[in-house]
Amino acid sequence: MSDEEAGRERPRSAADRRGRRASSSGSEASGAVTAGKGRPTRSRGESAPKKASIFARLVRFLREVVAELRKVIWPTRKQLVTYTIVVLVFVAFMVALVSLLDWVFGLGVEALFGA
Amino acid sequence: MLSAFRAALTTPDLRKKILFTLGVVAVYRLGANIPSPGVSYPNVQECLRQVEGSENAGIYSLINLFSGGALLQLSILALGIMPYITASIIIQLLTVVIPRFEALKKEGQSGQNKLTQYTRYLTIALAILQATGIVSLANSGALLGNCPGIIPDDSVFNLAVIVIVMTAGTAIVMWLGEQVTEKGVGNGMSLLIFASIAHRIPAEGMNILNNAGPLVFAGVCVFGLAIIVSVVFVEQGQRRIPVQYAKRMVGRRMYGGTSTYLPLKVNQAGVIPVIFGSSLLYLPDLVARLVGNDGGWFQQFVQTYLVDQSNWLHILLYVALIIFFTYFYVGITFNPEERADEMKKFGGFIPGIRPGRPTAEYLNFVLSRITLPGSLYLGIIAVLPNFFLGVTGSGQNQNFPFGGTAVLIMVGVGLDTVKQIESQLMQRNYEGFLR
Repeated sequence: MSDEEAGRERPRSAADRRGRRASSSGSEASGAVTAGKGRPTRSRGESAPKKASIFARLVRFLREVVAELRKVIWPTRKQLVTYTIVVLVFVAFMVALVSLLDWVFGLGVEALFGA
Repeated sequence: MLSAFRAALTTPDLRKKILFTLGVVAVYRLGANIPSPGVSYPNVQECLRQVEGSENAGIYSLINLFSGGALLQLSILALGIMPYITASIIIQLLTVVIPRFEALKKEGQSGQNKLTQYTRYLTIALAILQATGIVSLANSGALLGNCPGIIPDDSVFNLAVIVIVMTAGTAIVMWLGEQVTEKGVGNGMSLLIFASIAHRIPAEGMNILNNAGPLVFAGVCVFGLAIIVSVVFVEQGQRRIPVQYAKRMVGRRMYGGTSTYLPLKVNQAGVIPVIFGSSLLYLPDLVARLVGNDGGWFQQFVQTYLVDQSNWLHILLYVALIIFFTYFYVGITFNPEERADEMKKFGGFIPGIRPGRPTAEYLNFVLSRITLPGSLYLGIIAVLPNFFLGVTGSGQNQNFPFGGTAVLIMVGVGLDTVKQIESQLMQRNYEGFLR
């Protein structure tokens, strides 16, 4: 199952990467640090971003957050419904069990210690 | 799904684990209902009824949430799991500060055992402190809003017995939690918290229904459902980092060459940050109560800014704590260097990134970026209901079990537990719940 899924996801992420590379090389050099294939060696020092002001670094960080968030695989509608139902069933069961136990134990304690 | 339930119960190994967990929950609830020796049960019940009816019932729900109603009843498990949580927060924070603890943590399993041992000692110390405070509060009548006669015989011996019993109760809860983690399903600590919260739900639901009418109740339910769906949505969100394994020949056979992915959850830390954050916020209140009832500036500050859930300082502090603990906990549980090493050892690599240090740096890069929205989401969901406190009726100004913290913990624990059962089922090739 996992193999199948990985196979399905891969082209999408590859296309994503290609698209990002095309856009980032045009707009900004810092974006290419993660995307460009030959670059990682130079990016390791990270001397360039440290020189930038804190505001610029923050903006860059936020942009990277958004970029990573785009690559997140969210659950499908079907998965979402199943998981929600399972959680609801679990919670309902536990609440019912705990209230039942509390009721029984409460009766017992009342009988033993009650006025 | 029904067949999955049957499969879960017909597998002998899994059935044992599930029944064991349920049994522990039952024992926990039993202990939460038995009153401590020397405490007058009828008087406590009378006082509780008075408090429930009065205006300041809301103040106690924060304290009562994690103990599942046991604290105000002064039962033998009154302290619940709180001292253990506090102790584990302190120990984990100390691993960053104290070099010896850091060395222990890096030592592996034996060092980890040592740290667990320290956590237990600290738990007992904290439990004695808390129990003393609560017993003295109850003795002076301040615990339940100036209601005397909770402890009829207030000799020193009698009070000491109550403190000892409550401390022992904490040790039992700690042991129960560890047993569940070891022999049952799910994480014991969070499962016991779950049981405590579950205890409050029916009562609070009735409370809303009676105080604010069916329309508001339906609204709260819809709102709760929306939160549940969104929590499930984010919990399932993954950033999949592709990992390619090299083909290699061992003897005459070919191994590897597969491509998989390394899943990084958006919320890698789970519900732990929420539990830590809320229990840390609860500490100043406890300290203020222990200090005494003289109404000094410290107490007033705590009462107005920290205990009041709709206060902006409370909300801001809570969000900040959650964000901090999310990063902190992810840093503790996920070690990029270790993962990179492991990957290298088994001939795997992330396409485009060299194995070893660059891989670890890349993992760190992705993790620190993906955790920011995760932590923000946790913080926002946790404080969201605080803005709507006024809607659900006056008097009891917070319906805690329907608040974000409780829902987050319940859904998180539910998902975790069900997934563990699921993976156990999968080992035997049964179809799981999550299809």
